This record gives sequence, C-alpha cells and structure tokens, in this order.
Amino acid sequence: MRNYLKLLIFLLIMSSDALAGWVKNEPIQPLTADHDLNPKLAALGDRLFHDRRLSQDNSLSCAGCHVLSTGGTDGKAKSMGVSGAIGGIKAPTVYNTRFNFVQFWDGRAPTLEAQAAGPVHNPIEMNSNWQEVISKLGNDPSMVADFDALFEDGITGENITIAIAAFERSLVTLNSRFDRWLRGEKGVLTEKERRGYRLFKSYGCISCHQGVNVGGNMYGFIGAMGDYFEDRGGEITPADLGRYNVTQRAEDKHYFKVPSLRLAAVNPPYFHDGSAKTLNDAVRVMGRYQLGREIPDDEIEDIVAFLFSLVGEHIRFKP
Amino acid sequence: MKMLKAISTKRSLLLFSLSVAFVLLLVLFWDDESQEYAELSHHLLQLKEMDARLDRDVLRITSFLLVQYDPLVRTSNRLRELKEKINSNPKLSDKVLADLVETYWRGMDEKLDILERIKFQAAQVRNGIHYLPIAARELEAVDPEAYRDMLELLNSLYTYHLFYTDTQIEDIHSALAKLKQKSPSSPASREVLDKVLFHVDSNLGDLTELGGLKIRYLAIPTLEYFEYIHARHERNRIIEIANKKQLIVILSAVVFILLLGLWQLIRSLQKAHLEVNRAWYRLHDAVENLSEAFALFDADGRLVLHNRRFGEFYPWLKDWIFEGANISALQSVTGNRIHNLSLEGEAVFGVMPIGQYLEQVESGAWFLASNNYTTEGGVVCVRSDITESKQAEADLRKLGRVLEQSPTSVMITDTNGTIEYVNPKFEKVSGYSAAEAVGQNPRILKSGDKTKEEYTEMWNTLLAGKEWRGMFHNRRKDGSIYWESASICPLRDEMGKITHFIAVKEDITAQKRAEDQLRMNATVFETTAEGIMVTDADNLIKTVNPAFTRITGYAPEEAIGRGPSMLSSGRHNKAFYESLWDSVLQKGYWTGEIWNRRKDGSVFPEWLSIAAIPGEDGIAKEYVAVFSDISKHKQDEEQIRYQANYDALTGLPNRSLLSDRLTQAIGSANRENWKLALLFIDLDQFKMVNDTFGHVMGDELLQQVASRIEACVRESDTVARFGGDEFVILLQDVTDMDAVAGIAAKVIDSIIRVFTLYGREIYIGASVGITIFPDDAVNADALLRNADMAMYQAKAHGRNNYQFFTASMQQRTLERQQLELDLRLAIKRNELEIYYQPVVDATLDRVVSIEALLRWNHPHRGVVSPNRFIPLAEDCGLIGSVGEWVIKGACEQLSQWHKAGFADLNMAVNLSSRQRELGLEADYLRQVLQDTGLSPETLTLEMTESLLMRDTDEAITWLTGFKALGVNLSVDDFGTGYSSLSYLKRFPVDILKIDRSFVNDLPADIDDASLVKTIVAMAESLNLSLVAEGVESKEQADFLVDIGCRNLQGFYYAKPMSAAAMTVWLNGDVQGTGTT
Repeated sequence: MRNYLKLLIFLLIMSSDALAGWVKNEPIQPLTADHDLNPKLAALGDRLFHDRRLSQDNSLSCAGCHVLSTGGTDGKAKSMGVSGAIGGIKAPTVYNTRFNFVQFWDGRAPTLEAQAAGPVHNPIEMNSNWQEVISKLGNDPSMVADFDALFEDGITGENITIAIAAFERSLVTLNSRFDRWLRGEKGVLTEKERRGYRLFKSYGCISCHQGVNVGGNMYGFIGAMGDYFEDRGGEITPADLGRYNVTQRAEDKHYFKVPSLRLAAVNPPYFHDGSAKTLNDAVRVMGRYQLGREIPDDEIEDIVAFLFSLVGEHIRFKP
Repeated sequence: MKMLKAISTKRSLLLFSLSVAFVLLLVLFWDDESQEYAELSHHLLQLKEMDARLDRDVLRITSFLLVQYDPLVRTSNRLRELKEKINSNPKLSDKVLADLVETYWRGMDEKLDILERIKFQAAQVRNGIHYLPIAARELEAVDPEAYRDMLELLNSLYTYHLFYTDTQIEDIHSALAKLKQKSPSSPASREVLDKVLFHVDSNLGDLTELGGLKIRYLAIPTLEYFEYIHARHERNRIIEIANKKQLIVILSAVVFILLLGLWQLIRSLQKAHLEVNRAWYRLHDAVENLSEAFALFDADGRLVLHNRRFGEFYPWLKDWIFEGANISALQSVTGNRIHNLSLEGEAVFGVMPIGQYLEQVESGAWFLASNNYTTEGGVVCVRSDITESKQAEADLRKLGRVLEQSPTSVMITDTNGTIEYVNPKFEKVSGYSAAEAVGQNPRILKSGDKTKEEYTEMWNTLLAGKEWRGMFHNRRKDGSIYWESASICPLRDEMGKITHFIAVKEDITAQKRAEDQLRMNATVFETTAEGIMVTDADNLIKTVNPAFTRITGYAPEEAIGRGPSMLSSGRHNKAFYESLWDSVLQKGYWTGEIWNRRKDGSVFPEWLSIAAIPGEDGIAKEYVAVFSDISKHKQDEEQIRYQANYDALTGLPNRSLLSDRLTQAIGSANRENWKLALLFIDLDQFKMVNDTFGHVMGDELLQQVASRIEACVRESDTVARFGGDEFVILLQDVTDMDAVAGIAAKVIDSIIRVFTLYGREIYIGASVGITIFPDDAVNADALLRNADMAMYQAKAHGRNNYQFFTASMQQRTLERQQLELDLRLAIKRNELEIYYQPVVDATLDRVVSIEALLRWNHPHRGVVSPNRFIPLAEDCGLIGSVGEWVIKGACEQLSQWHKAGFADLNMAVNLSSRQRELGLEADYLRQVLQDTGLSPETLTLEMTESLLMRDTDEAITWLTGFKALGVNLSVDDFGTGYSSLSYLKRFPVDILKIDRSFVNDLPADIDDASLVKTIVAMAESLNLSLVAEGVESKEQADFLVDIGCRNLQGFYYAKPMSAAAMTVWLNGDVQGTGTT
C-alpha cells in the first residue's frame, strides 16, 4: 500500500514537472526567474542601485544610466558620468544580465559582483572609490542597520557589490510573447513575427544570438564579412578595440561579447558605439558585416517584428 | 579510609579521562584531515568531469550539433567555481601540487579561450554551409553552367566538411580556381558568381580556421595535467595516511601505557588500602581502649573515628554518632548542653574552640577538653573526665572563698609564728597586702600596748593546744591604731601535731568609737542649754534633759509619760498645731517660733525644732524636740524692723518708709492746711553705666547721686530711694510752686554734673516729674502715680527737665486707662479687623504685595486710629497677642488669595519691637507658615526704624531668627528716624519703605525730591527693594517711577480695605489691568 502511494506521489511530481518544463526545442529558450534570491539582500541592492552617494559628487546613481523603466539603458550612444564626463561606450542594459556569460562589452568582469564595482571607480562614470562611498553610507543609520542585518562585517565594498548584483539578478523580463510561444501557447505570435523568427534563423543571426538571452553567451568579431570600421568611418577609439583592451592580444581586436537581443527592440541606439540609430539599421548592418548579405527591407521588417516579440515584463520596466 | 578510597578513585578517574581525551583528540584530528582530502578528491573528480564535458561540447560544436551555447556557459561557470574551491583547499600547501594545479589552470584557460574562438568560428562556418546553396541557386538563374560547376564545388566542400582529407581540399582549391577564371556569360552572372565565390572562400577559410582551432584545442593536455595532479594528490594522501597510522600507533601505545599505569595504580592503591585498613583497626582498638573520649573529624567536618567513651561522655549524641556524621549536626544536637570554660574559669565562646578548655555538661560532669587541628585540616577531640577533681576543687574553692570573703580578718602562721596566709579582710583592716604580710611575723602589727607577760600567756595557751581569745590594740601600716578582738587556735595534722596557728580577728574600732560617741552624746544631752524632749511614737514624753527642766520648770519625772501639750500656752489655734504636725509628718521636721507655758504658768516664746526619727519601716518612731527660750531675742526684732525701712546702699528711707512718711505728711498737711510737693526723679543713662561698668560702679554712682540730691533739700524734707535708679523727694509745707521748680532744676543740675568714679568721668542725666497735694491728688498712691506720669512726660520732652502734673495729663491718663480697658475688650468682642492695602508695581500695573493693617472698630468711638491704640497696646503688652493674631489672620488670608488664583501675591505685616519683649519667636511664625502652607518668601515683616535703633544686638538676633525662616524684612517709615547706612548694613533688611511724609509734597518740594532720590540711590547700592507709601496723585506716582521707585502704595491706587473688598478689588485689578 505504502509503495503504491510513493509511486503515485512520484508520478505526480514527475508529470507536473514535465508539464511545467515543456518548451519547444529551439535555439532560443525562455527566460527564468532566480528563485534563490534573498529578498532583503535584493532590496538593499535596489536602494544602492538608486543611491547617488555611490558617485563622487552625489549626482549619479547606477539607475542614472541604467533607467529601469525604459529598458535598463539611457538611450544614448555615450553615457554622461559625473561632472559631465562623456563615457566611451554605449551603456548596455541591466536587464537579464544574469544570463550573460561575462559582463561588459569586452567581458572584463566574470561576474555581476565584479561588474558592479566597475562604474563606481571609473573616472568618467561615477569617479568614486569604496573608501569614499563607505564613509558616506556609514553616516546613514538606516543604511548601517540594513547592512548590519545582512552582513557580519557591515558596509564594505564587497558587500555593496554583492547587494547590487543580487538586485540585478532580479531584473529578468519574463513572459515575453516569444517565450510564451516557446512554452506552447497558441496565437501569441503573429504570422509576421513567426516569419521574422524563421528569417532570423535562416539568415544565421541565430548562430550567435541564441540561448535564453538571445546572445550574451559568446564573443564575436564585429565585421566578420566586411570591414565595419572602414565603412563606419571616424577614428578607431579604444572602445572599438573590444576584448583587446583586456587581453592585449592582437587577435582580440574588435572582438566583443555578442549582446543579448532580449530588450534590443526598446534600447536604441545599437552596437558598442551606438552607431545604428534604429533596429532596422542594426539588422541591416549586422546582415552586411556579419553575414555578408544584404537583407531586403521587407524581411528586415519581419525580423524586427520578431525582435519585438522578445520583450518581456518586469515590474520596474514600463516601455 | 574513605578518604583514601576517594583519593584513589580521583587519581584513576584522572588517568582514565586523560586516556579518553587522547583518543578523542586523535579521532578528531584524523577526521578533520581526511575531510580536506575528500573534498579535494571530490573537486578533482568534478573537474575531470567538467573537462570531459567541455571536450565533448567542443566536438559537438565543431560537428554543428550544438544549437545554443548556454550549456557551455554553465560548464565554464562551474569550472570557475571549481577553480576557486580547489585553489583555496589547504592541501594545496604542497608546492608541487600547487604548481601542478596552476599548470592545469593555465591549460584550462587556454582551452576556454580557444573554445570561445571555436564558438564563433563554428557559427561562421555553419552560416556559410547554410547560405551557400541559397547563393548558388541565384547563380542558376543567371548562369546555369556556372551553377553546375558551383554545385560540384559545393559538393566537394561539404564532403570536406565531413571528411577532412587532403585530396579533398586540393580538389576544392582547383575547382575554386577554375570557377574564378571562368569568363561569365553576363556581367550579372559575374557579380553573382563573385559573391558566391567570396562566400565559398570565406567558408573554406573559416573551416580551415575551425579545424586549426580544434587541433589546438585538442593538443592541450589538460587530461595529462590532471593525471599529474591526481597522482600527486594520491601520493600525498597515502603519505598522510601512513603518517596518521604511525601517529595512531604511537597514541594507542600511549593510551595503553596510561591504562596500564591506571591498573597499576589501582592495584597499589588497593594494597595500600589493605595496609591502611589494618592500621585503621589497630588505631581503632587503641582509641577504643582509651579512658578518654576521642573523636576525629576530617577537614569537611565528618566524623572519621571515635571511641565508645565519646558516646558515654555525650549520651545525647548516642543516635547521632556514626562514621561520617557531620560535626555541625552533632553541635546542633548538643545545643546548650555544654558550657565551656577556660582553664582559668572564664567563659569561652565559640562552638568548638581550639586548644584546652573545660566543659561542663548538663549532668554536671566536668571534662577537660582538647581540640586540635590535624595536618590535613581535620579536628581531633579528646575529653577526659575531671568531675571528681573538679568537685574537690570546688569544695576547696568554697572554703577558700569563705576565707576570702570572711568579714573577719584571718591570718595563718606556722608554729614559729611566720605568716603563711592572710585574707583580704586582713589586708583591708591592716593596710598590709598579702604579699607584704606573708613571711613576716605578726609583730609588725604590734602597737606596744600589751605586756610581755600577756604575750607569753597567749603563747602558752596556744602551744598547749588551746584556743586563745583576747583583744589587740594594733597598728596599721599607715601607723593608725585600731582595735581587734581575736580568736587564735592551733591547727593539727593527721598525726595530731600542731602545724599552724590560725587567727580570726575582728576590727572592733568602730564599735569602740560608737561607745565613745554615745558617751559624748549623753554628756551633751545633760549639759546643753537648749531644752530637749524626746517623745515616742504615741507622742508621750520618753525623756527630757536638765535644760528642759530649767526652762519649763518641769522635773523629768513630772514630764515623762505625759504629752507635750502640757506646755501649751493656748496662744496658738488648732490650725497652727495641725500645720506643725503636718510638716513633721510630711517633711520629717518643723522649725519655728512657738509660745509655750511654763510650770509656773508664765508664757514664753521659744524657737523650736522638731525632728521625726523614723524607724526601720520609715514610720516615725520617736520625735525629738529641741527648743530655746527666745524672749530676749524677741525684743531685738523691733530694732531690726526699723533698720528695714532704710535703703542699705544709700542710707535713704526706702519705699515703705516713704509711704509711711507720705501718709503721715498727708495727715499733717490736712491738719495744718499745707501743701505738699512730690518730686519723682528718674536717672537717665544709669542703666548704661550699670551695664557697662558693673554693679560696683553703679552702686557707687547711686551713693553719690543720693548725697547730691540730699544736698538740694532741707533736712525736714524726705529724700527716698524709690527703687533702682528712681528717687522721690517729699517737700512739706509748700507754698511757692516756683521754689518747687527751683528745687527740681537744682536736682537736675546737680546730677548732670560730672561724676568721678574710680578715676573715670561719668555723665548721666535726670528727669523729674512733680505733683502737688492736694491740687493733683489726695492720697499717697495717686500722688506717686501722678509724679511718675509727669516724670514720663518730662522724659518725653527730651530728658534733663522737669514737668508738673497737669489736668490734661490726668485726662489723658484716664482716657488711656479707659482705652486700654476697651482694647482688652475689643479683642474679646472681635472689634479688631485686618485691613489690606495693595502695593502696586506702577510700571506693570500689577499688585506685587499687600500690607496688612490693623483696624479697630470701636462701638462708640468709631474707627480708632492705629496711631492711638497701637502705642497703647505696646505699653500695656496687648500688642503681644494682637500682633500674633494679625500675623495669623494675614497669613490665612494670603493663603486664601493664593488658592483663589493670586498666586504671586506677597503679604507685609507690621512688627513692633515690644513683640520681642513679649516673646514673639521665629518658632511661632514658622508654625503659622506651616499651618497656612505659605512659603516664607511670600511674607514680609515691616518694622519701624526705631526698632532697629533700640537694643541693637538683641534686635539683630531677633530679626535674624525671622530672616532664617526665609521671610523678608522691610523698614517702614524709612527716612524719619536716624537710619544710617551702617545701621542698615547690620540688619538683614530686604526692603525699604519711603515714608509718606516725603511723598506728600512730591514732586514740588525740592528738598523732599532730592531726599527721595538719595534713598532710591542708596537702596540700589545696598541692593534693597523700595516701596513708596502715601502715593496720592498721578504726579507723585510718575515722579517716583521716573527716579526708579516702581512699587507704590497709597490712595492713588487703593485705600486700605476689608478682606472681602480687597478680593473684589483684586479681581477687578486682574481683569482690568492698568485701570487704576
């Protein structure tokens, strides 16, 4: 009797799991939430993410350049740091970053924690340092209390990044129409969008922009099938060198992390230099330099339609 | 025994737990070490798995089997985590292992690096494969021939994709070259062909690149590195385990040895235990056979060993004595059954004293007790029964005490007469201490009154073994002689041989003296000139002396047996005798004058003293009457009475003689139709002289004054000293009033002249009051009173003058008397009332204080001015009770106002200097304040300047008493007296009140204005508050405020009013501030 009961429970668990987990076998997989997050830690990260004291002159918080409501970027080709300093590179979105295999365009940070420290110390971003930030936060009793409740050693640089990273792990745009389609929901994608997805795959975009994040899990050379920079014109900036800046190896020049296309539809301009103002432009440029092909305008429209279906939901995200 | 057991148990326990601890430590240590190895092994295993997974995925990528790279991301993340874990493992302290691990990670990093390239390259190749057929199809439309060639090329390209053979690649290259050289059928065809060829070229390049990357990837020997790591790890582990095993063997050996030691110890302890047991029983036997009681307690107070005797000694402990019994339990059972005494017999406190002492138990038995500490901190107790010796000792001590406390002297000598013992009485009587007497011969006491024969007789009697009795007239150590009656007898030993003589002697000196005294008393009785009569308890005469017979004429036989009433003269009434006997019975004696009758019937005065002689019960047993005939003495009394009429100091007639003379003079004057003049002289400043220079000087001064006054009158006139520094002159047969005035002036003149006393020049003065008979009064008392009144009038006129008594004086006197009478009644009839007048702070228009004013509503006269009745009340002392009544009433009223909401109000009450003399004390005020619940600073006492001027020191003391309570002091009518800064500084004054007389003419009167300004400045400098009274106009108020005096009182603000009216006024004041 007892054995039967065990078997029954086992079957129930297995079947529910199987039902919940079923997705189409596609190179793109649906986004999932991180259920292991400590909500208090994430809440503290939220406060810190919006805390201007992390910048030297208390003018800029993380959220200054990563505007959560519009898609996690500032919509500019180059962001503005403290005292009006102009950054060298297009700010990437903070949404869905937990699925990226490395952080930054050049992959110099292996984790979100390592990433969070970067802008704080960057002279043209927040231009501060932990000592300064800790002394400022240390004067705020509620901040001290929050840290003391979560960490044995209170406010430290490491703990600040741990909290911010935890918050960033919560920034996942779930339930996009495309993901719902992946999970088998009928009628969520239009014919045009499905056509766009097919084109996306057949043109080979999918070769690099795949996985849960539709990108973000590999590096690629920009201009694999044509000289992107010659055609773009203008000086080659240090930012254009990509991963070379990290490894100093000649073969790593113009080698970038392939960005996620999850929120590409709402986060223009495009590429590390923000040179493509519209998504249509970006698709066209990508076809030209990465695939060596000219994609007809109607097909670009279809692909763009598909890319819009990738945009999911988040409570802070109000597109 | 138990102790030993305990020790052995403790030691074995120690050893055992030491062994256990060693084993535990070992196990713990071992376990900890193996944990790290297991962890590292586990991680290495995972590492190997991840490495393999990576290799697998690379193969899947290059075979285009992997459509998305998320799994690779997970693998590389996992690898990163493993790297952290492995690098932090403590076992990496092995340098070789660490180097190997580092080499591995370098290889792994390179692998991951190449993997990244492979990912991208594979994507490129795959896109190419996918696109080339599509591109070729475009060619088909424009150039079918080229399309066919292209298909072939693509075919070989795909084959090459599947089988990387060198021939294949050569074919592809040649086909490619051919196609490139081919001339196109059309320009459109050329364009399409070039595009396809570009892609084929790229694809081929990418493929080659991918192949190269794959080779590079596979060439990295991470597996080999891993094997090195693994081998090293295993080696380390084996070595470690070997070390551990060795350690375990050693530690096990240690544990074994310890256990062996433990066993040995237990064995030896057991042996020792047996030995101890044997010794124990021997000891027990020995102890058991002791005649003494014995008990041994260990350091914890437990009974370890005792014998039977111990139980017998303390029978009540029978059920309590067992091995292990606690000492404190035994003591609590014992309770008060034992009394401890030191060997010297003093009480010993403490339950179990250490050392030797005596115990007396309830049965009366005596034990010599000895408690001593053992080396291990226990106590050993030994008791031996000494009851018998104690009894003997007690008997001896009793006998000894008889000797010691004997009221008779005792001396013991040997047969040679050498003193061996004397008792304390002997010491006391003879003056020789025992130490001095012992060893001496009794001859030291000899006074030499006994003959040699008498001594010989004594010795013979004694040596014959008989008792000798007799008297000695002995000499003390200090040489004085005393009488002793002695009884000396020989002491014999068991053999009947005389060994000692014992002398028991009694000091009979006092007895001898008493006999002498009696003899002497009898002589006195017989020979005294005073009659003595002794009566018994029934008051019948027992005995009389010859003087009695001489005075009364009664022979003893006539008197004895009769009552003393036989002497009664009949001159005294019954009450006299009753009071006499009352005195005798109550006080035990009576002394006084009494008239008695002699046998011959004549009556005579006698001075009689009767004393009661109480018996043992305290009741009179006998009465002794001693009397002397004072007939002669009586005659002298007249002379004495005469002398009593003159003042001893000045020789002038005194007050009573003056009274007689005045009465006589009035009689004569009536008869002769004369006039009399009575001059009452009072000295000024005399008191000061007396107080300053003393009574001797004062007396001398009075004598000189007396002679100067006498020199001013005729001999027929009487000069009398009336009392103190008052003299009265009685002038007879007066006709001319000017002459009387002349005498008065002469007297004053003579007195104000300098007096020289003991080399000192002294000035005094005199005031004289004159009254005339029969013009002013017709009897002596009235005349004296008139003169006195006139004298006071003279004083009031400024001293050193004289005043005649006048009718108006008379009138005033009468009126005054009437008023005084009325005033006394007024208090009873509630005619007195307290009125209140506010003091206003003119700048704030706010009441700051209220002065309590006394008002007399006379039923006929209407309202009597305080100026009239206050001095009267002061004179007659009524001010005492009235003043207290005012203070109490005002305080009660203030308390009511406070409660009604006027919490800031203060109260001022007037104080008279007479109140000090009448006993108003700070205590009274404190009580009033306490009863009314007022805080002292709300009360101000106002006094006149004159109070400060008079009797300064006493006044200061008096006022300081009030000040100490915390009340404020205010000087009323300031400016009218002689107040000076120095005076004010001496008094604890807080407030000055500017007198109304200065305020009246303000601001017109320039003098007054400047005076008031001065007062204001002075008050400021002395830090005193100011109040101006009598403010009646706005001009006055403005002026005062202007010069800095803001607290004002007067009709301009409010008249004095009843308490009820004041309450109404206050309410109005509060409601309409500034309406005044």
